[in-house]
Amino acid sequence: MMHGMRRSIGKGVHFLGIQDAKFKTMRISIHFLLPLRKDTVCANAMLPFLMGRAGGDYPDFTQLSQKLDDLYGAGLNTDAGKIGDAQLLSYSITGLSSRYAFMGENMALELAGLLKGLLFHPAFENGSFKEEDIRQEKRQICELIDSDMNDKRLYARRRCEALLADGEDWGINPYGTKEGIEALTSEELLLAWKRLLTNSQVEILALGDCDTSAVEKLFEEAFSSIERKDVFSYESLPLKKERVVRHESENADVAQSKLVMGFQTGITPRDPRMAAAKVMIGMFGGTPTSKLFMNVREKLSLCYYCSAGFSGAKGILYVQSGVESRNILRVEEEVQMQLSKMKEGEFTEEEILSVKKSMRNSYTSLSDSLSALEGWYFSQSLQGSYLTPEEALEDVEKVTEEEIIEAASSVTLDTVFALVGNGGGETA
Amino acid sequence: MTSPKTTVQTIHSDRIGDSYYKIQHASGLTVFVYPKEENHSAFASFAANFGSINTAFQIEGEEGVRRVPDGIAHYLEHKLFESEEGDAFLKFSKTGASANAYTSFDSTCYIVSSSENLYESLEILLSFVQDPFFTKENVAKEQGIIGQEIQMYEDDPQWKVMFNLLRNMYHTHPVRNDIAGTLESIAEITPEDLYLCYNTFYTPSSMVLAIAGKIDVDTVIGLCDRLLKNRQEKHVRRIFENEPETVLSHRVEQKLPVAIPLFQFGFKRTPGEKPASVEKIAATEILLEIMAADSSPLFRRLLDAELINETSFDTEYFEGPGYDAVFFSGESRNPDAVAQEILKEAESLRKRGISEIDFLRAKKSVYGRNVSALNSTDSIANSLASMYFSGRELFSYLEALINIEPASVFAELSSISPANSVLSVILPED
Repeated sequence: MMHGMRRSIGKGVHFLGIQDAKFKTMRISIHFLLPLRKDTVCANAMLPFLMGRAGGDYPDFTQLSQKLDDLYGAGLNTDAGKIGDAQLLSYSITGLSSRYAFMGENMALELAGLLKGLLFHPAFENGSFKEEDIRQEKRQICELIDSDMNDKRLYARRRCEALLADGEDWGINPYGTKEGIEALTSEELLLAWKRLLTNSQVEILALGDCDTSAVEKLFEEAFSSIERKDVFSYESLPLKKERVVRHESENADVAQSKLVMGFQTGITPRDPRMAAAKVMIGMFGGTPTSKLFMNVREKLSLCYYCSAGFSGAKGILYVQSGVESRNILRVEEEVQMQLSKMKEGEFTEEEILSVKKSMRNSYTSLSDSLSALEGWYFSQSLQGSYLTPEEALEDVEKVTEEEIIEAASSVTLDTVFALVGNGGGETA
Repeated sequence: MTSPKTTVQTIHSDRIGDSYYKIQHASGLTVFVYPKEENHSAFASFAANFGSINTAFQIEGEEGVRRVPDGIAHYLEHKLFESEEGDAFLKFSKTGASANAYTSFDSTCYIVSSSENLYESLEILLSFVQDPFFTKENVAKEQGIIGQEIQMYEDDPQWKVMFNLLRNMYHTHPVRNDIAGTLESIAEITPEDLYLCYNTFYTPSSMVLAIAGKIDVDTVIGLCDRLLKNRQEKHVRRIFENEPETVLSHRVEQKLPVAIPLFQFGFKRTPGEKPASVEKIAATEILLEIMAADSSPLFRRLLDAELINETSFDTEYFEGPGYDAVFFSGESRNPDAVAQEILKEAESLRKRGISEIDFLRAKKSVYGRNVSALNSTDSIANSLASMYFSGRELFSYLEALINIEPASVFAELSSISPANSVLSVILPED
């Protein structure tokens, strides 16, 4: 596999190509980063949905879907999300390598051309998005906002995040609010589209069995026709607040309660303590031999899952567990107790080694999956340092016991959210 | 008769340009090795043909039928990770491998993904699955953990909408029961039950090992020679009571804390004596694609009428021992209207027939997705294992997709009729 270089192909526009014929497919993605702000979040969020519906030479939903089918079931994924203080609008297309196409079609050009058409030539009518498309996508994004509630684990985590953010912009839902979405006009959406192409930081990745230089050339030309200015540049600051621990809860008609504990660490990817923080979090609650799994689940049988995850962009550590209502407090205390063990260095050399090995396993496996590779290099492009998984592993291997204790010591509990269940619903 | 010698067969696809090995190991176990030399890791699945539906069986030489509590296959999966010397996860932590397991309706799979210490990880996998250790204490301890797993699924509306459907589609077939069982059924499980199931179903002839990725076939055979135990084979008859062709009721609903209703609309079909052939699966997959893909007229009508959304609407072909059904599912403000539209579309398709252009488009799309799945070692190993239990072969499925005729696709349409349909709906609470 060739490890490509990330290259600038325009003002704030970067391209990375990794050509590797071991894959039977290719994946081409364009990520746009913009500030995450209340006044623009809704209009921005609508774009991936509107532009993923129709565009370029395929002015309606059915025509675009048929084209994707004709390209051997190519997958088009467009979505809005967030990373730290930025809103992320992503457009990805995946499809078969040319060698499996019945007529030997040049799949890289087909797929990249389609994506380019959707971005640069949306399905406009009288110079703006069509009213019918807007109406349809408004409805669907509102349903998506609503469906958040269906996954109680995710819902509890989002509630904890909102409490941690306490009104700051980074806490807002990257899909916006239903009221905000409903109120959008086609003028605002047109402006948002112009903003997307003109002001955002753009990261383009082409990976797999793909003619990456052809894709690069295509997008370099496309962006040269845009007058890029006031270009956003991603950076994210850790959450750092002096405040007392807050406990919030909400009742719900569910069988299992959800506990989410949000901790500040002050450590983000640019911090030299990052590698140590990752090892520490793995030992604390990231693997089936971690302190949380071995104690809260295996020893005390209090739950099916109790794990720690890191939201690096804001330096927040989340511990999540699904428990019986009467055990919520017990789990919370046990989590705190296991954390204090990490802080006091009550762990073995074996525990350190086991997490390092597990990280080695996942980092070396990355290059076997296009989406994992893309995730890695995209996140590297936001971090200042631009490391291969192998280089990042060297940093992990060097982490010492003292550094782990130091990273654990930076962890302070900020907010606890519990979704408190009552035993569940009835079948009619 | 089990051959005492190990034999190796190469299975090649010209179309894909890949080969894999099917090894009939001397121990009686079938082993698949699908090498991908340029990968950095490999994925292995060691699977038993024993799932949640196998709760009644007759062992050769015994008079009566054995009945075990619902959820036992899943319980066994949890408990197999423990041995006298401790937890299998602790052993895997020395190699860095990522290990897990899952239980489905008809099988239990123990999986591991490993890069640098692959053969060591495989050794741990083969060893712990062959080394049961069930005591009263360790069985009791698991109740709290699995109890919480069951509760977690109780709150999952997608899970509930499916099981409510199955419970109204099947009268007796155990596919209607939750995979993990219930809080009551798991309380009955004893170490003796677990040993009985283990000794009956975890035998070489009803297991399979499938590995894909950076892996050498001879080293795998060497490992198997050293580690696979020669086990006494039990001939077992899996018992399912007679299942009527009818459904219990055509509609079921439940209220849960959701913001928008969820639906699953299913059609019960008559299963064959044997598992569905690759041709039947290909025909059904293509039919669902023609009927309800994003590019279909039905999808467009539902979307324009604001009855579905692009994110959630989906179809599935659901088949296994003694069950066969197709599902349409998603979120909708009006699930009953969606169901009517689906029935109307089936009727209209019956009248107008399948057009050449729709047929070719659907075929291309399903073919592309299946070739794409061969990127993933997880997907390859899991498919090799599950297809083995159903007597199907991976590359033959791709050929079946290419060679399918419109008439076979059209023939599958007859099962989509109101008489054998069930609509399951989850509604928001008041």
